[in-house]
Amino acid sequence: MSDTTQFRVLDFDCPTCASTVERALSNVDGVQHVEVHYATGRVEIEYDDSAVDPDAFAQTIESQGYTPQPA
Amino acid sequence: MNKQSITQYYRKHRKAIVTATSGLLYGGGWGLGYLTSFEMASTAILVLATIVGGYDIAKTAYHEVSNRTLGIKTLVTLAAIGAIVIGEYWEAAAVVFLFSLGSYLEGRTMRKTRTALQELLEMTPDTATVRRDGEVQEVPAREVEEGEVVIVKPGGKIPIDGEVVDGESAVNQAPVTGESAPVHKADGDEVYAGTVNQEGALEIRTTGAGADTTLERIIRRVEKAQEAQSPTESLIDRFAKYYTPAVIVLAIGAYAVTQNAILSLTLLVIGCPGALVIGPPVSIVSAIGNAARSGVLMKGGEHLERAGKIDLVAFDKTGTLTKGETTVADVEGFGVAGDEVLSLAATAEKKSEHHLADAIVDAARERPTAATDGGATVAQADDTDAGRQSIPDPDDFDVVAGKGVIAHTDAHEVVVGNRALLDDRDIDVPSQVADYVREREERGETVVHVVRDGDIIGAIALRDELREAAPGVVAALQDAGIETVMLTGDNERTAAAVAEEVGIDEYRAELLPEDKQSVIEAYQADGHVVAMVGDGINDAPSLATADVGIAMGAAGTDTAIETADMALMADDLERIPYAVKLSKATRWNVLENVGLAVLTVTVLLAGVLTSYVTLASGMLVHEASVLLVILNGMRLLRY
Repeated sequence: MSDTTQFRVLDFDCPTCASTVERALSNVDGVQHVEVHYATGRVEIEYDDSAVDPDAFAQTIESQGYTPQPA
Repeated sequence: MNKQSITQYYRKHRKAIVTATSGLLYGGGWGLGYLTSFEMASTAILVLATIVGGYDIAKTAYHEVSNRTLGIKTLVTLAAIGAIVIGEYWEAAAVVFLFSLGSYLEGRTMRKTRTALQELLEMTPDTATVRRDGEVQEVPAREVEEGEVVIVKPGGKIPIDGEVVDGESAVNQAPVTGESAPVHKADGDEVYAGTVNQEGALEIRTTGAGADTTLERIIRRVEKAQEAQSPTESLIDRFAKYYTPAVIVLAIGAYAVTQNAILSLTLLVIGCPGALVIGPPVSIVSAIGNAARSGVLMKGGEHLERAGKIDLVAFDKTGTLTKGETTVADVEGFGVAGDEVLSLAATAEKKSEHHLADAIVDAARERPTAATDGGATVAQADDTDAGRQSIPDPDDFDVVAGKGVIAHTDAHEVVVGNRALLDDRDIDVPSQVADYVREREERGETVVHVVRDGDIIGAIALRDELREAAPGVVAALQDAGIETVMLTGDNERTAAAVAEEVGIDEYRAELLPEDKQSVIEAYQADGHVVAMVGDGINDAPSLATADVGIAMGAAGTDTAIETADMALMADDLERIPYAVKLSKATRWNVLENVGLAVLTVTVLLAGVLTSYVTLASGMLVHEASVLLVILNGMRLLRY
């Protein structure tokens, strides 16, 4: 089943930071669609809930050097 | 301070601490090298400054590269490493320190823009006081159910959308509608979550809680709007993807041709598209945030950018320029009593949903004496309100769209309508009637004829009060160089009188809803960028056709929030010049930012090629330009 979750990242320095996080998240297995926006710091992830635990998303964002906050 | 709190403090202020340490080391290393002969020590400190300031940058650059994106951090890292390799330690330390300082300041400034939405979110209280099973309880606001009664004390924030069932108070609705003056609320009035009860206690029956409140809908809309890119943003995003790799290729090419490593590294640093990419979204997010706080919902960058080009505003008349509360101004009987004319018209119009019909029926009900028909007192069976006259149902009833109604009652045919309907039915209009109609229409009133069995027996003049703000709003738009037009279904004379009173440039009368749409299309064909202002329900086709559809009084109505390009939460016309001017200011702001970014890169590039710009000074100017575009964009938060 497809589900969506959202985060807010307030410590992006530049639009490329947002693309970096977007790419990292889209490489996570089970992720169907990711949108990361620099100006608002909004991260929206559509994923297959049988294939991935949503906790993995916060960890992925952290691994790229940014701090995810629940939206 | 214990160890845990030191760790917390460090985490929270890591960026500032790293930047400050890198800066101090950079200053110390430079001073040591400049003032003394301890070159080795100076070099070591400058390398340390580069490592301290550059660690985070290099780490992100690594992620950028491994995710196959190339950004400014990759360019800075390459430049710093390159500078160290060729022995320019001072330049390496300067570049990372200046970049670190720039991005710290940029982050702080951007946070302010991003929190504009957070402020809206914090408007609603977390808990609500409800009466359950005869007891007063405090419960989470999201758990209040529809139909439950919530109690809000004076000074308290209203936690849900609902209808006042007891009490009276002034409510500050600014968070939802942007109105600065409090609004009086009593039994039956609608109140919104997030607004503030100022005077007396209120008991409110819940119509929406949690995610189902007007404020939540506004927040969701604003969030979506902030994500919707404007054409300029999309263009720049696409451009940036190719731009950064192009800069790297250019730097390599420059080195291959000139063998000048410094020139090549400087190109890497100044070529970053930072200001260009950051400028437009900051301007647009700031403008949308500002508008939301003022009770204007912008549906996204695309609409905002288009609204910046508006040169003509078309207003619907009824309910937009006027209050939309039509009342009967005068009833004239021709050969019969006025009361009889009104009573007969009310019967014919009873089943109609037109606002003119409502006014006629209301006026008939409020008449002091019993309504009569041919001398017989009408039965008062269907009306329960004490002191109000009853209106009998017609035997049958037909609406002629845009013209009037035809009904049968007591074996009489009754026609209530405008001149067009009379012409359709070949009904003669005596000069006495025509004179009366002309005289009332010249006052800006709408007149309907009342015809019984083919003979005109009377006429009813109806008036819809102008909104007090209308002339001022029209004048403000004209001052801003925008043409104004009024579109109305009324006849020529009434329209002319209202147009004159409002001071509007042009009017188009006797229009059916589909005609309004054609009028807008005609203006667009003439090259105008047209905004249409309407109440969001009747005017849907013209709102959709216009370049920018502006719906009024959208608070509480999902349709208006969802369908218009721009929605004014309150019925406040004065927001229109503000919204149009804000859109124009935003468009200019975006252009200023793009211009500034392009100018900076061009000047720096010329400086590099003529050897006036060094690696560090290039970085300083580059970071300054990024901060400048952010600050310029943020001006729109306080527009």
